[in-house]
Amino acid sequence: MNVTIAAKEPGVSRIAIEGELDTVTVGDLRKQIDQMVAKEPKRVEVDLSALRMLDSSGVGALVSLYKRVRGYGGEVVMIGLRDQPLAIFRLLRLDRVMVGTDLAASSTGAQKQSSSNH
Amino acid sequence: MLGRVQHRDIVLRAVAAACKLVRQPSASSPSSDGDAEWNDFRMQVVTAVSEAFNNIVLHSYAGREDGIIEMDIRTRRNHISVELRDFGDSFDPDEIPKPDLDRLPESGLGMFIIKELMEVSYRPGRPNVLVLSKKFHDKDTKRYQGAPGRALSSSASRKTGDA
Repeated sequence: MNVTIAAKEPGVSRIAIEGELDTVTVGDLRKQIDQMVAKEPKRVEVDLSALRMLDSSGVGALVSLYKRVRGYGGEVVMIGLRDQPLAIFRLLRLDRVMVGTDLAASSTGAQKQSSSNH
Repeated sequence: MLGRVQHRDIVLRAVAAACKLVRQPSASSPSSDGDAEWNDFRMQVVTAVSEAFNNIVLHSYAGREDGIIEMDIRTRRNHISVELRDFGDSFDPDEIPKPDLDRLPESGLGMFIIKELMEVSYRPGRPNVLVLSKKFHDKDTKRYQGAPGRALSSSASRKTGDA
């Protein structure tokens, strides 16, 4: 799994998750989410277009992110879902509340973190 | 094999390969027909087995790294069953509460996913025996039918009746 977090503009963070988000990799993602959420961005864009595999542990991390950001009044959109991750979202009915449709796939910003795991 | 999540990829590769044996296109069916159905079938089986493997490692063996998981895969035309045996703590799949999806749960989703995608049987003991099975219906035979093993489709146009 690779995770890239970028501050697109003030108050807007974009997190791109690539590869497999599962029991093995979710711990690393949670650490990076903690750092991002601590800054309380008003809007978080989660780019899942390069996510190949998602299991229930990964779903838990994404739902947690959604709840935390919404908890302080922020907004979360998930974009780029396809294949198995999209199917999981549909099965768990997450597509009805968590998926955005309005984002272009750009990633720029001054703050960037990257990690490789797995 | 050892019951470690790091070993799960080996299991999933074997399961994905076995799924190829399930699909036997008929002479009247060009090889490309049914690809979407078969891809969904393989995705469902791999997803369910992945969750089951996680459950054994994280719950039956509760983090132990010396637990053994044995696996048998049986295939015949349009059918697969995957038997996972472990020697850890037993559980009752029927006692695991169904998650309230409207409340956006962050945990307790694994067994729900498994049951939605495959038929499940479980026999506690030494070893515990979990059997996941599923029929494959391509469009030359029947459309997918309802749960268990209900549709998990990423296709834009779903060919199933469930919502």
